[in-house]
Amino acid sequence: MANTLMHEVRLLLMPRTLPALRRRWSRSPRGGRGRFIVLGLVGMLFWWGIFGISWRVLRYFKGIEDIGDLLAHKLQSMILVVSFALLLFSGILTALARLFLSRDLLLVHSLPSPAYRIFIARWIDATVDSSWMVIVFTLPVFLAYGTVFGAGAAYYAVTLLALALLAVIASALSALGVMIGVVIVPATRMRSIVILMGVLLFVVLYVAIRLVRPEQLVDPEVFDSVMVYIASLQAPAAPFLPTSWASDSIQAALTGAVSNSGFHLAHSASFAVLVFCLAVIVADAIYFKGFSKAQTAATAVIRRRGLSERIFRFLPGPVRAFTVKEIKTFLRDQTQWTQLFLIAALLVIYIYNFDALPLEKSPIQTVYLQNVFAFLNMALALLVLTAVAARFAYPAVSLEKEAIWLVKSSPLSIRSFLLIKFFIYYLPLLALTETLIVGTNWLLEVTPFMMVLSTVTVFFLVPGIIAMGIGLGAAYPDFKAENPAQTASSFGGLVFMLACAAYVAAVILLQAGPVYRLFMADLHGRPLSALVWLWIAAAFAAAFLLSILAVVLPLRFGEKRLRQMHL
Amino acid sequence: MIELKNLTKNYGNHSAVQGLSLRIGKGEIFGFIGPNGAGKTTTIRMMGGVMAPTAGSVTIAGIDMQAQPQEAKRRIGFIPDRPFLYEKLTGLEFLRFTADIYGVAEARFRDKAAAALSRFSLTDWSDDLIESYSHGMKQRLVMAAALLHDPEVLIVDEPMVGLDPLAIIMVKKLFRQLAAQGVAIFMSTHTLKVAEEICDRIGILSRGRLLAIGTVEDLRQKAEVDSVDLEQVFLNLTRNSA
Repeated sequence: MANTLMHEVRLLLMPRTLPALRRRWSRSPRGGRGRFIVLGLVGMLFWWGIFGISWRVLRYFKGIEDIGDLLAHKLQSMILVVSFALLLFSGILTALARLFLSRDLLLVHSLPSPAYRIFIARWIDATVDSSWMVIVFTLPVFLAYGTVFGAGAAYYAVTLLALALLAVIASALSALGVMIGVVIVPATRMRSIVILMGVLLFVVLYVAIRLVRPEQLVDPEVFDSVMVYIASLQAPAAPFLPTSWASDSIQAALTGAVSNSGFHLAHSASFAVLVFCLAVIVADAIYFKGFSKAQTAATAVIRRRGLSERIFRFLPGPVRAFTVKEIKTFLRDQTQWTQLFLIAALLVIYIYNFDALPLEKSPIQTVYLQNVFAFLNMALALLVLTAVAARFAYPAVSLEKEAIWLVKSSPLSIRSFLLIKFFIYYLPLLALTETLIVGTNWLLEVTPFMMVLSTVTVFFLVPGIIAMGIGLGAAYPDFKAENPAQTASSFGGLVFMLACAAYVAAVILLQAGPVYRLFMADLHGRPLSALVWLWIAAAFAAAFLLSILAVVLPLRFGEKRLRQMHL
Repeated sequence: MIELKNLTKNYGNHSAVQGLSLRIGKGEIFGFIGPNGAGKTTTIRMMGGVMAPTAGSVTIAGIDMQAQPQEAKRRIGFIPDRPFLYEKLTGLEFLRFTADIYGVAEARFRDKAAAALSRFSLTDWSDDLIESYSHGMKQRLVMAAALLHDPEVLIVDEPMVGLDPLAIIMVKKLFRQLAAQGVAIFMSTHTLKVAEEICDRIGILSRGRLLAIGTVEDLRQKAEVDSVDLEQVFLNLTRNSA
């Protein structure tokens, strides 16, 4: 029985495992190796970055008498709580996709295999998919703990096992929740609800942290309450939380108490087995019912006719066609419009952060600091724009999905198609970035010179970032991606983000020197020499030229690649 | 109306279409048949301007597809084998989208869309999102959209796949009507019966090469079969080439 079960589960997993193995052992296709190296290098840099930061923070904690170890322990349990929350969130989305929304499910459910066995195979797949990244990128933090606190080999084994068990628990709980949820709410709606809940959770968490105002910790006035603070650090964590068991086992292994660590691990393991068995029993009872329900598409009837067409009547035919299509598709796709909440949250948080800056308490001259912040703010706002563009402009071409044949067979040139896409995203994203810049500059009370410089610089940089998004999105499209987030996290998405970061950095570096000279000259009422003016003009001209190239080159590259692409 | 000259498409070392030359006249219905992987869809994609050929040329109504792709495409109604559409638009919105792309005037659009929806039995679903359509309904919608701008050339890949018998009869009748109005129709099909019934000439493609071309009678003679059935002709010709 067990053998048959394992054999069947292995067979059901083959469509996932075989291509992965084939990729591993066969020769990479053209460009595949370069892509692998770039992704690997960025991943490693990020990994080492996390390790380096964690190591420094832990060394600092270790140096603080009395509360240093307590802080390190508290930080570790907080990391585990955040990781568990991420595992749950990612687990729910992956379980929804793997158990109810994947295209191959129709074939899989037609096989002579009981629903619970299909569930087990899909769950294993979902667990690996939803947890590997969280585990890989939390490992450097625990590695830093091991090195700073001089842990033995057992600590590393226990940490790995504790994290793996946490992933299993999160994935099994997610699958359970999803199976029950889908019976109540249709699977297609469920994903939007989960994304919306995630965004709200993020905003609530952030606002809660902001309300605590951690910057006050550096204010000497709050040191009166340090004993209260220590007492709160020593308070035991909730004993029934899986993260507490993981935290206790890791903490025990760190201090060399291996048998104690084993006890907490056994706690985690027994709970993992229990939740998994419960999920299998529930799957046997309701998984097929939920899957069957998920297939009955809701037939939405759109009664209001032609409002967008009337609004955009002034545009030429093909431009109007794509503009209207893009807006309607966006508003009718719940997975898309929930992202609007994310942007709104991002805007509020960003502006609030500037409002919370305690500039008046700084020993440095306020006017100088305000304008330094305004300058840095340009770079930050453009990086925020890059993140938003990665989610909207970069996947714009991929979002045509397999209907891209309509574009390629239409009398619209690929260049016009890309330009239409460019303008559809350029205008709203320009408005967003300018709002950010003007709003934050207003809060910072910067000089008129900085206000004009920021708005003009952003005005010239936004087209470059959007063009890189559209152009690189066209050069590396994924017409089979199930959602835009998948497209944004691809190789091309990474190239786009790196290119944008390099572009923003280059322009900011080109402007930094001249702006400093201009600002200081204005502040002290000193005139500038002709040579300095020449240097300033050359730097601004170079930034302008770079901005033109940032628009033209990626769009041309995308046009060329998309034209040559086999569909 | 359609001219293919030495059309070739290579995928790496594999040659999907090799030196294909054809000429299809105004008002002619040309059927393209061949086994799976013969190169039919590749040929059709090159003709529709969806794919660039490795060598050779496609001329539509005297316009070179390579030199003036936009002008050539304006004269084509392209219907692919798989009807991937914008799922979040309604049927009517999709027709309007197509009309805007092809420059159909608003005044003409309303009448034409209503007629097309009625002809393809989609009027009752015109305000439903395409994502709720069946495969056959999507196929009918693509056909309705492809005819909105009165194309001079219709390029169709497997027109009958997914259609119910009633729709198949309607499409066959429609193709004959369009041909009578002077539209050149190039269609690939696996349904030999359909090819036999409505095509003026048939080309048999195998391994990227044109094995035979002509009327059903010409092909029978070439295949040296007495049978009236095109199936036997097809089997004989393609077996010999294998």
